Amino acid sequence: MKKKNLKVGLFIPCYVNQLYPQVGIATLELLEKLGVDVHYPQGQTCCGQPLGNSGYEEDSKGICQLFVENFKAYDYIVGPSGSCIYHVKHHFDILEQTEDVKRVRDNAYELCEFIVKVLGKKDLGASFPHKVGLHKSCHGLRGLKLGSCSEVKGEHYSTEEDLLNNVKGLQLMSLNRQDECCGFGGTFSVFEETISVKMGKDRVNDHIASDVEVLTGADHSCLMHMEGLINRNKQPLRVMHIAEILNSTL
Amino acid sequence: MNHAKRATEFNKDEAKVNWHDKALWYVREKRDKSAHNVHGWEYLRELGSALKANVLSNLDTYLVQFEENAKKNGVHVHWAADAKEHNEIVLSIMNKHKAKKVVKSKSMLTEECHLNPHLEKHGIEVIDTDLGERIVQLAEEPPSHIVLPAIHKTKEDVDVLFQEHLGTIPSQGNPEYLVGEARKHLRNKFLNADVAITGVNFAVANTGGFVVCTNEGNADMGVHLAKVHIACMGIEKIIPREEHLGVFLRLLARSATGQPITTYSSHFNKPEEDKEMHIVIVDNGRTEQLSREDFRASLHCIRCGACMNTCPIYRRSGGHSYDYTIPGPIGSILSPGKDLKKHSSLPFASTLCGSCSNVCPVKINIHEQLYKWRQVIVKEEPQPVIKKTIMKTAGKVLANPKLFEVAGKSARFALKHAPRFMVYNKLNAWGNARDLPEVKGDSFEEWYKKRNKNNE
Amino acid sequence: MSRATILGLVKMNKPESLPLPVIDENAFKEEIDLKETFKSNVTLVGGQIKEIEPNSIDSEIQSLYPNKTKIVSITNKSTLGTVQISPNTDPHTLQDIDLAIVEGDLGVSENGAIWVTGEASILRALPFITNDLVILLDKTKICLHMLDAYKLIAKRDRTFGVFISGPSKTADIEQCLVVGAHGAMSLTVLLI
Repeated sequence: MKKKNLKVGLFIPCYVNQLYPQVGIATLELLEKLGVDVHYPQGQTCCGQPLGNSGYEEDSKGICQLFVENFKAYDYIVGPSGSCIYHVKHHFDILEQTEDVKRVRDNAYELCEFIVKVLGKKDLGASFPHKVGLHKSCHGLRGLKLGSCSEVKGEHYSTEEDLLNNVKGLQLMSLNRQDECCGFGGTFSVFEETISVKMGKDRVNDHIASDVEVLTGADHSCLMHMEGLINRNKQPLRVMHIAEILNSTL
Repeated sequence: MNHAKRATEFNKDEAKVNWHDKALWYVREKRDKSAHNVHGWEYLRELGSALKANVLSNLDTYLVQFEENAKKNGVHVHWAADAKEHNEIVLSIMNKHKAKKVVKSKSMLTEECHLNPHLEKHGIEVIDTDLGERIVQLAEEPPSHIVLPAIHKTKEDVDVLFQEHLGTIPSQGNPEYLVGEARKHLRNKFLNADVAITGVNFAVANTGGFVVCTNEGNADMGVHLAKVHIACMGIEKIIPREEHLGVFLRLLARSATGQPITTYSSHFNKPEEDKEMHIVIVDNGRTEQLSREDFRASLHCIRCGACMNTCPIYRRSGGHSYDYTIPGPIGSILSPGKDLKKHSSLPFASTLCGSCSNVCPVKINIHEQLYKWRQVIVKEEPQPVIKKTIMKTAGKVLANPKLFEVAGKSARFALKHAPRFMVYNKLNAWGNARDLPEVKGDSFEEWYKKRNKNNE
Repeated sequence: MSRATILGLVKMNKPESLPLPVIDENAFKEEIDLKETFKSNVTLVGGQIKEIEPNSIDSEIQSLYPNKTKIVSITNKSTLGTVQISPNTDPHTLQDIDLAIVEGDLGVSENGAIWVTGEASILRALPFITNDLVILLDKTKICLHMLDAYKLIAKRDRTFGVFISGPSKTADIEQCLVVGAHGAMSLTVLLI
């Protein structure tokens, strides 16, 4: 399909919409820069994941249905959050599988995946002269298979690395544990607070020990958790969503 | 007490948590190296999974076939519906032989059935002979891991324990010395035992034989010296044919410890002359788990412990935080089937990162089952009022764009303007150790509307 | 009667029959030097291995284990045995055996394991209770992996048999590997 014919519905996750508008803006600007015919359906809310992961899937049906209504008219649905997209693809099985529901599930893409797989682009002309550490969020990595996992035998690949490695001046730092969970886990972060915080601390410290200046990733929920720790502990790390880096120019 | 509280207890000593995490991560790395060395590893896992699925779908046939063949080999076969019956059967065999001393190699099933206290109550000395199990037995604790039962103990802990119970001299935790002393102590137990109890790793339907895997040689030391061998197995331990051991033995040790195979893989078919061999086949909730379509694949488990070693929560909360015979991710999908109320916090003791499913040698979809148990638990067990209210309200607000807009505005307003003590208080577990996001004024949607207006 | 109950419940609760998978062995094919891989794996699992001529078996064992007095040899390839055993010997009397020499039937390249049958050790306890263990193995009898191994041992009298891979060991104290838990303290494989 040619880019011009693509009609893309931009999905901005609820917490990004409310708390991290800059991530939504970077995502939109980036897609526009890439020549995508991108629209933001107003009145969108959430994918239902916070409820599903907490065991309240039944109560999330209205949310999921609303998501389908908002996005059913688009060829692709693209969002800057692997875990939300994973939820749409894997857990919308609670809805009746109408043509609309099936199409929305099949055509939902995480931002990096959309750029690399659908648009077929890796070099977006961005420049960002910093030492960057990539947090590979689990739902994107293991759920959407955006990259290879250290525990699975096979060739190494990574959608996010493909994009970051083409950013001018960017130095991608290698971590001690390349794909360990950060401990966010939605409501896990409050109901299992101790372990969540410990996991986050360990992840952040791995980045610091690896000489990282800017911690990035494709899922802002993980980043929010780690940024919370970094700010509280006044650690020398900046946190940015990958869309913000890919949208950067000197 | 739920998992979170027990995990918090364990985390009071952060240095110990770091040590525990590192020790298990080291095992996980050994597993990666060893598994990735095998040509066709991922296909091997698929085979393991498909074989186990075939077993479960024909389990009655295979069990009968196994029994028939075992009996032909002169083995006594017993059936136990639950833990109580299992314990009674074992005791009755002991009584028949007037046995007073038993050596036991590792068997998670006998742990699950609480066999030791039952036998001890009847005046029988039970000695766990796997070194890790002996350590926790002396410490009067349950194992904290199914392959590494004493992984929560430091070598200094073991030193003190052995001084007290085995009369060793202080060695600052010298592993060679401690293992040597344990060898002497347990050798004496092996030589004097009347009965040896073992678990079963795999029971082969087409031969009636079974395989027991150890590194220490403790199962064999017990069995080949005692007059009577009792092997206890869950019904799911069956595999169809002997050649399928070729799949499972390739998977097991690599997944468990990163070894290419355990030191000893002992194949028992017939008892040695003048000796008796018994097999106790146990249900104890397994047929019920078999009935649950979403959860039956949990019965594929071959007890390698790989999901524990890779689990970032297990590594930082310790096996005892699960308060169940089988801890970690696999325990968290098995335990709710046994007692939903008691174990209802376990499926939530996960971020659903999915690494457990990736390492599982028989490809159990562990993290998906955790998600599914959560749905069951919320329906069937009373939930904390706050959580329930938040979730129910969120369900309504997020299904309604107008309500969402209002809620979003007020939340951002509160975050921005509320005094710090209101945002960070004891009710807000987020804020104990983490800052909340800084609020930037407009939401994305508000920005988008303004931009569109300006462009008009 | 729990047997009937359990089987009844299984029948009721089991899913629809799923096929027994056919194993595609091509997926595991590898062009490797079986003997060399076997040797390196025996070493990896803590054993030692030597390839020797048939006429130097005894001298090799004597030089490797010079001070052993109580030796059980279950092979006519060695004359070093000092203690005779039969199927009627009480296995408890083996507790102070210094060295046992047995023959293995088959070696497995992928993991350094050797198949030793109950018959090859007369008493099943022998290879475990002995302080040190020597296994003699025909160097042409090494297969690629466990799937091949089970084919090669398929035709046997099924009593007792064990794959032995290295000496007895444990890592139960702080993940420190210690050789010599309950079974043999050392394993030497002599390839002939």
